[in-house]
Amino acid sequence: MALPLYERRVKHFFISLTSLTMLIVFAFTLSISIGPAMLSPVKVFQAIFLKPFGHTVEGNVEVISMLRLSRALASLFCGASLALAGLLMQTITRNPLADPYIFGLSSTALTAVALGVILAPNLMVHKVYVVLVSFLGAMTGYILTLSLSKLGGGSSLAMVLAGIAIASLFSGVSHILLYIVQQVVKTPYVYMLMGSAATVLQRDLQFLAFPTMLLAVLTLAFFKPLNAYLYGDEYAKQLGFSPTLVRDLAAFVAALLTAITISFVGIVGFVGLAAPHIARFLVGSDHKFSTPITMLVGALITLLADIVVKLVSMFAGAVGELPLGVVTAVIGAPFLVYLIIKKVRE
Amino acid sequence: MRIIVEGLEVWYNSTQALRNVTFEVREGEMTYVIGPNGAGKSTLLKTIASIVKPRVGAVYIDGKLLSRLSPRELGKIIVYVDPQISKTIPSTVLEFLLTARYPHQNTLGFSMPRQDLEVIENVSKQLNIDHLLSRRLDQLSSGELQRVLIARALVQRPKVLLLDEPSAFLDLRYRLEILDYIKMVAKANRIVCIVAIHDLYLASLYADKVVVINNGEIVAVGTPGEVLKEDILERVYRVRISLLSINGRRVVIPLEPIERIGLR
Repeated sequence: MALPLYERRVKHFFISLTSLTMLIVFAFTLSISIGPAMLSPVKVFQAIFLKPFGHTVEGNVEVISMLRLSRALASLFCGASLALAGLLMQTITRNPLADPYIFGLSSTALTAVALGVILAPNLMVHKVYVVLVSFLGAMTGYILTLSLSKLGGGSSLAMVLAGIAIASLFSGVSHILLYIVQQVVKTPYVYMLMGSAATVLQRDLQFLAFPTMLLAVLTLAFFKPLNAYLYGDEYAKQLGFSPTLVRDLAAFVAALLTAITISFVGIVGFVGLAAPHIARFLVGSDHKFSTPITMLVGALITLLADIVVKLVSMFAGAVGELPLGVVTAVIGAPFLVYLIIKKVRE
Repeated sequence: MRIIVEGLEVWYNSTQALRNVTFEVREGEMTYVIGPNGAGKSTLLKTIASIVKPRVGAVYIDGKLLSRLSPRELGKIIVYVDPQISKTIPSTVLEFLLTARYPHQNTLGFSMPRQDLEVIENVSKQLNIDHLLSRRLDQLSSGELQRVLIARALVQRPKVLLLDEPSAFLDLRYRLEILDYIKMVAKANRIVCIVAIHDLYLASLYADKVVVINNGEIVAVGTPGEVLKEDILERVYRVRISLLSINGRRVVIPLEPIERIGLR
């Protein structure tokens, strides 16, 4: 039984991998073709994916595609990175309800960024500094939530409640700070608070794409300690892995991933919660398989949410755009409700 | 392979769990540790597994000091079957059993060698959990989970096997079958096997050597015939007992408590 079961798992993995990649290519093309000037998805596909093979399309399609490319790439990588952060948070807390947003990491990171912008406005120019400040905030949020939940007994319920407390407190604080930031940087603060991929610059994309890929490879390389960690501290220790080292390293990576997305698109909630669950449903809990699938699912969800943002702003015709985080919250919060009913009842 | 435990003293904060524990176990010899609740059975096993660190004393494996071994070497040699594992993140029995092969693999390696899967296949067939491999851990009954935990230990192919209450939650058939199987595996693969157990009849059936501990101290060591005696057991368990002889084995029948609760 073991051999055919394992082979079936590997087969499921490759099927999920290819179908998700195809769906992402489709959503990516669709996302670029939607905008004030509607483009044909076929031509966009040719302009983006067939260009290296010497395919040429008429001038304006290519120019507009390239202009919209950074936004689509930003939502793609942010989704992947948030999903991976969510998976790591769920693993290290062994809590299926964990997520950087629910655990307060996002709010504290945003608070740190807002504080940074107020204290040193020229910070905004260099994305690297923004990422750094936001990382410090996310790390603080993780430590705060963890110590608060330890005070409350350390159960999974205590952890979720501690996260909600930290998230509420710091989302309030960041509201106030971002309201002040509006005077410094002339953009409506809702974008930073609820996330938008529209403002990402092409030259900054490297600070999003490369760290995300690097941290993904790092996570994948340590899939064995992560798998062993799932079954308890003493269990991991018995297999020769230090549980505290696994926990600290994974928390560091999760905080860094959260920080990167916060400094690019602001707070986008629930992707980190939903994506690992969908991935586990598809390929099981082995991190060797669930890490890449989680990232692809996260990227797909965020791309689709960004398409919804674009469509709503086009057809509602209001001023500006809907924040990305609003759409993911509308999709993701019912998922959280479902998980709470299913998991907490047990 | 042989284990020498020398002058072990273990403290949990200010309470002493083990005091001056010294004994020796040889390979292929089934050693059963018995004693009342809180006597220090689990602590003894955890100390040998290097999960708990002793304050005084040492454990030697083949003359090598246990505390000198790296965590990875320990993972290859010693297995402690923990009755509790975390199963909050849903995962299947197969995924759980696969982790047991990690100490023998390259940590960064991606491939799952065919022979590792065959080890899992064999062990799960023998413990009759073959049909459970695709089930989720949190959907197993207590008895099924107990068999999965024992299977994990055997999949890891240890040199030293430490079992904590392996008969818990198992029905009559599996108690006998699994302890019998473990004895066979231990003899065939020259494994050092130490079992902490409450069921004295199972100890009399399968033990080559019985260690009785009480209040963290060794009270008696010897073959089941030498140790399972009225005076020792009555002193340790505070229960009046009677010994029956069935098929040449001593069966311990508890009659009544020596002190009644509430009448002290």
